[in-house]
Amino acid sequence: MRFALLPMLLGAMIVAQSRAPAQDPATGRAPAAATHVLIVAGVGGAPEYEQAFYDDAMRMAEAARTASSVPDSAITVLTERPERDPRRIAGRSTKIEVERAIARIAKAARSGDVVFVLLIGHGSARDGHSLLNLPGPDMSAADFARALKPLSAQRVAVINTASASAEFIPVLSANNRAIITATGSVMERNATRFARHFVDAYAGNVADADKDGRLSLLETYTYARREVAREYESANQLQSEHAMLDDDGDGKGTAEPGAHTADGALASRLFLREGAAAANVVAGATSNDPRVAALLHHKDSLDAKIDALRRRKASMDSTAYEHALEALLVDLATTNQTIRQLTGGTP
Amino acid sequence: MSGGGATIGKFTVLAVIGRLAIARLAIVLAATGAAWAPLHAQDRATIEKQTSLGKALMERGRLDEAARAFTAAVRGSARDSLTARVKLGEIHWMRGERAAAMREFDHFIDVYNQRGSRLTSRELTAVGIACRYLGEDSPELFKDALKAFDEAIARDPTDLEPRILEAELFLDKYNNADAQKTIADVLARNPSEPRALLALARRLANDGEPGAMDALRRALEADPDFVEAHVFMARIRLDAEDLKAATDAANRALAVDSAYAPALAMLAAARLLGNDSSGFADAERRALARNPHDGEFYATLGEVMARNRFYSRAAAFARQGVERDPKSWRARGLLGLNLLRTGRVADGRQELERAFAGDPYNVQIKNTLDLLDTFKDYTEVRAPHFVFMVEKNDADLLALYLRDLAAESYDSLAARYGYRPADPVRVELYRSHADFSVRTLGLPGIGALGVSFGNVLAMDSPFGRKVGDFNWGSTFWHELAHAFTLGSSDHRVPRWFSEGLSVFEERRARPGWGARVTPDFLAAFKGGAVPPPSRLNDGFTRPAYPQQVIHAYYEASLVCELIARDHGTPALVRMLRAYRDGSSTPEVFRTVLGTTPELFDSAFDKYVRERFGDRLAVVEPLRLRGDPSDASAAARAGDGKFAGAMREGVAALRAGREDEATRLFQQAKAMFPEYAAGESAYWYLSQLALRRGDTTAAIGELKPIVGSNDTQYEAHLLLARLLESRHDVAGAARVLERAMYIAPGTAATHEQLATMYATLGEWPKAVRERRAVVALAPVDRAEAFYQLALALHRSGDDDGARRAVLQALEAAPDFERAQKLLLELHRSAPAGAERVP
Repeated sequence: MRFALLPMLLGAMIVAQSRAPAQDPATGRAPAAATHVLIVAGVGGAPEYEQAFYDDAMRMAEAARTASSVPDSAITVLTERPERDPRRIAGRSTKIEVERAIARIAKAARSGDVVFVLLIGHGSARDGHSLLNLPGPDMSAADFARALKPLSAQRVAVINTASASAEFIPVLSANNRAIITATGSVMERNATRFARHFVDAYAGNVADADKDGRLSLLETYTYARREVAREYESANQLQSEHAMLDDDGDGKGTAEPGAHTADGALASRLFLREGAAAANVVAGATSNDPRVAALLHHKDSLDAKIDALRRRKASMDSTAYEHALEALLVDLATTNQTIRQLTGGTP
Repeated sequence: MSGGGATIGKFTVLAVIGRLAIARLAIVLAATGAAWAPLHAQDRATIEKQTSLGKALMERGRLDEAARAFTAAVRGSARDSLTARVKLGEIHWMRGERAAAMREFDHFIDVYNQRGSRLTSRELTAVGIACRYLGEDSPELFKDALKAFDEAIARDPTDLEPRILEAELFLDKYNNADAQKTIADVLARNPSEPRALLALARRLANDGEPGAMDALRRALEADPDFVEAHVFMARIRLDAEDLKAATDAANRALAVDSAYAPALAMLAAARLLGNDSSGFADAERRALARNPHDGEFYATLGEVMARNRFYSRAAAFARQGVERDPKSWRARGLLGLNLLRTGRVADGRQELERAFAGDPYNVQIKNTLDLLDTFKDYTEVRAPHFVFMVEKNDADLLALYLRDLAAESYDSLAARYGYRPADPVRVELYRSHADFSVRTLGLPGIGALGVSFGNVLAMDSPFGRKVGDFNWGSTFWHELAHAFTLGSSDHRVPRWFSEGLSVFEERRARPGWGARVTPDFLAAFKGGAVPPPSRLNDGFTRPAYPQQVIHAYYEASLVCELIARDHGTPALVRMLRAYRDGSSTPEVFRTVLGTTPELFDSAFDKYVRERFGDRLAVVEPLRLRGDPSDASAAARAGDGKFAGAMREGVAALRAGREDEATRLFQQAKAMFPEYAAGESAYWYLSQLALRRGDTTAAIGELKPIVGSNDTQYEAHLLLARLLESRHDVAGAARVLERAMYIAPGTAATHEQLATMYATLGEWPKAVRERRAVVALAPVDRAEAFYQLALALHRSGDDDGARRAVLQALEAAPDFERAQKLLLELHRSAPAGAERVP
């Protein structure tokens, strides 16, 4: 019965489960998909950029390691000067090293695993084509497309935070891929600020908008995009980068994707930081206890009603809306509290 | 200069002597009848002289005689008969004979269409002039005027007349940038060309740049009878509230042409501002005698009134102008602008739209209408006595501070001045500085931060400038003080006094707000570049060096401080009342302060020398030399012992000689302890102390910065952090509270302050800070609302807490901490409270 409920209760997990090989008999859930992280910091060109790219790369690696519990063996960091931290940096961020690293991940990754590729650095455009500036030859979007081709059975997120990165969306777009670019056009060639805010989201506890204890790629993108805009606005400057996200495979980016829109659905289900999800006992609750099952069923019904009510908000009287919302939320809070008590979570 | 026959030699010489001499000789000829006798004989040579004669007569205001001369030139088919004909049209225009004038001007359309390619430069210039007037009815003809002037220039590049006319047309439409290019062209060819110099003066004055007076003086040196230059001089004098000098300048113009309406408008304005109503009526009567439909006369009066901060009167005069001449688009535009300034936005917009329909090339009106189109992006925040117009995205955040600040400032100022402005005071905050500038002047480029039209204030929003550029709290207080001083004096308070009081009030409002003494002010004072109080308005209206306006604000506040010291603060209020009752400045000084402006100048000089004696010794005097717009003149204020110590300290610091740097900065600080702006000795010493790990010393250096500098955001944040690290949470909160008036847009700072207030148990302030975080639309909305709910709960507002926690859960229904709070609030709800079961 519990399994039958899963598609309704945990709709967000459907894709992951459909691709996962089997369910864990102990938990009744699919074993967690493994996560592979590749972080590439390109050539800085000036000491301050080299330092900034290095800092962002290492912070991201640390966040993956600590907050997301990704094992060291699944984190690959390539930077301009690997000698700065040979223990944690796998090599120099040359084109050949990047291609090798992707090939290694493709070899190690199982079907259904998640692969995060974070590209930090300067970008440029030649003949309208985006390039990531690396020590030695640059890498184009087409180069990445070739390198990523073996990862067809995995869910892949490529986040290119470089300037002039927009072309990565049309070239890399595919099913089960989420592509984020810091710019909406190859003409946006000024050094970008997106990477810092993107990493801030993972390194800090600031972007989990739905408070489910997990940080989705969509939440991270939304946070970074908004903070970039805020930074330009605070400095009274014209914004010279406009990030985009594409994850429906149509090759067209969306500036403001959502979990229920064409672009954003996959990103809302890709979690780099899932470790904290355990804290939300209710979200992951499973049990053979019929009382819990009934409560979960009731919770599911409440979730649906709250969602429906929120959609009607604009057409409702504000007081009536508030009363209706309060009733549902009190019921949900009480239900969740009982589930936690029954499943051993903190009430 | 064309000429012929027996007099050609004379006129050739005259052309060299210049325009002035021509006019004088022509008048002599006319007066003696020598010019007329040959006319009757239809002598060709005489006919050819008629246009020049007519122009000279016209400049003297002898319009009947001028018209006869022009008519003779036209009938006699003089070679410059087209010029004569356009001048005939202008005479009709000056008399208000609009239809006759337009008939003359309309003729030029045919002339151009039939003979365009064969017209001389002068004839094309006449076409351009005609088109400029025709543009009053058909604005597309303004473009044809420019086209004709351009063609005239192309036909004869040495002819300056069409260039000058083009520049004047640009200036009339407030297109200063294009005007400047044309003016520069003319002056490059003839640096003494009076009309080009006048145009330059107008352009500089429009843009608030130094040098207008210098250009005007040069114009009058070149042509002492140049009536338009005298009128402009009168306008500048009126701006400086020097009624006598304005009257003298107007009279000089009237000595040349006793019925010259713009000069009569200046004379009338000076008399009105001097409370001489019968003198005003006399000037008005004289102006209307020449042209009973002269809308421009009233438009000019309206403009002068607005420049002297009488916005309601300005609107009233502009309306009279529209009534006299419904096609006076300038008057209608001024009516619209001044209705806006008095808070009548809808009425103002309506008038501006009508003015724009009549003259779509007026940049000032177009800009203002464009600005009004953006008002849909704003919302109104209401508070007792106030209505704030704030951009929608900023309204929730700024309202949190504006309401409290407005209440505090209103009560404080009402108590001091015994006056309350009519409700509501309208305060507009613009996110774009260019929009604020357009609201103020109709044009971008204003250097000010805020403006007060009386009960209507406009200012940059905290988000309209870079962090650290200004303090929006002190700016608001400053502008509101104007509302009180303008209102309580019936708008008769002189500019210097109103500004001085506003800075004075800023300083009383908060430590560190308002201008402080600077080395460059004292350098200017020491060098004699700071005008005495009796001429302080000059510092505001025609600065002699780039920083003088800033210095004038500070000097004006010192004047108020001196008066308050010697006569008590109530004397300041009595002065306002004396101005309200119509007293002049000498009368106010005599009746309220028992002195004369001249004696007060001496007392002020002594006061500054006594108060800043030591600091005066460590700065080098600023000597103004050469071009007053020369920025380097003021840059030399950076000399002296104090500046030397600072320079050497910075050099030592850069070289890593920290002990030496510390010693030099300590010396600089001792020499000029009030100076804490920017990268001051205090700032460097604080950084050096932090490098040594001496937090106590760093705090000691940062406190004076925060206590006397209202814009250095970084110092505020650093001091707050250091104080908090020393467990002085109350001190840290006070500093961050001040920082919010520099930069209120950082969520992390609001969170920090909210936590401090929570620690201190100051829950209402914690709630305000939590509301600020919510207003900044964080990505993690749920957390922001949850924290707000907690603060509200602790402050005792459980209903507010319930609403906030509902908003948290609306964003994240499974948010566990918020669910717990919701259930707790429900459990603790009083019996009978309206709750969902």
